[in-house]
Amino acid sequence: MVNPDDTELVQRVAQGDERAFLALYDRYASRVHGLTLRILGDAMLAEEATQDTFVKLWSRARLFMAERGSLLFWLLTIARRTALDRLRLEARRPAQPDSTDPEDIWQVLPDSSSLPEEARWRSMHFAVQSLQQDQRAVVELAFYQGMSQSEIADVLGWPLGTVKTRMRAAMEQLKQKWNNE
Amino acid sequence: MDRDEHAPFRENIPAYALGALDAADVTALESHLRTCESCRNELAEYRALGDILLMATPPAAPPAALRKRLQAQLPSAQKAARPRWTWNFGQLALGLAMLALLALNLFTFSQLRLVQRQQARLSTEVEDAQVALMMLSSPSTQTVFIQGTSASGAILLDKGQNEAVMIVEGLPPLPSDQIYQIWLILPDGSRVSGGLFRPQTKDSYTTKAIASGQTISGYIGIGVTVEPAGGSDHPTGERMFKVDF
Repeated sequence: MVNPDDTELVQRVAQGDERAFLALYDRYASRVHGLTLRILGDAMLAEEATQDTFVKLWSRARLFMAERGSLLFWLLTIARRTALDRLRLEARRPAQPDSTDPEDIWQVLPDSSSLPEEARWRSMHFAVQSLQQDQRAVVELAFYQGMSQSEIADVLGWPLGTVKTRMRAAMEQLKQKWNNE
Repeated sequence: MDRDEHAPFRENIPAYALGALDAADVTALESHLRTCESCRNELAEYRALGDILLMATPPAAPPAALRKRLQAQLPSAQKAARPRWTWNFGQLALGLAMLALLALNLFTFSQLRLVQRQQARLSTEVEDAQVALMMLSSPSTQTVFIQGTSASGAILLDKGQNEAVMIVEGLPPLPSDQIYQIWLILPDGSRVSGGLFRPQTKDSYTTKAIASGQTISGYIGIGVTVEPAGGSDHPTGERMFKVDF
């Protein structure tokens, strides 16, 4: 469910309200930092990516539209993109065409009435961890490292077709797990 | 389109949803999606799954210093950090002469102890400290006190020499992409760089020798600003303090 307090706070941030900005930081910094740390695997880089994410919140708050989805998803999408950009810069890898632009994502965000409680998110985390090792590897390299299927095939030494098959199988399992929660 | 024709596109949908589809396959899939509702629906499901993966990462509290850094970048902090130049040096110097002498004695003693500790460090820091010692012992050395919003200390200068020494405390640490830059102020108001430095973290004071291309008597003041790493050709960032002499 979209937090009405979030909506009010981000509107105030858009008007330059610093207390509202810090309130949102206090509320979501741990979630953002958990994701950047997961992606970057380096405390200093993760801290910088977290900082950049909230700087973007300050400068882009006026672009947020509550009717299209939750602020947390918006923040985490920005955080993932920021962290992956940094990861590619550090590894000197080219950027991937990313269909998950935060400004375009609204139409595909989960229906707010179906947003789960915290326990469901944790169970999803465990669902990822419980995937078969091969399937988990492709999901983690794709989602948390921003690699393309070809790059994953190179890293793991698998045929491209194998990567595609295992990625689809992993996503099917996760989808079933989520729908059964 | 029959199922066999959908298959190569459907195979790529999960990767596309995660942003992992190879660039060479993206155009073909996007073209297909424009005309295929069932594949668009399937994409929507997988994209939703991608959003769920965003949430399925355990939270991790960032360091407390991050909040302070963000707060320091907000407009109110930037405004408060600008020093207010209402101090008339001549008037304060007359009124506080005795107190200044006492402060200098205490300051000198603490600085001598600081210099002794600094001799175990990097050669540039040792050199700066040696210059400070030398100036402290010279009868022609003048002391100009620093009073910024957060910074305090003194600048030792001998107008007949082309070198001065800054001893300052209270300057906040900077991120790696920024640095403090010293500016020597000419009578026409233009600035010449006097060097770059970072505040020392282990000791309370930072000592920095300031070299110039002419005697200090050719300048009317010294200031310090925050600049991008590597320095600037002229002051561009926040001014931490300025002293006139």
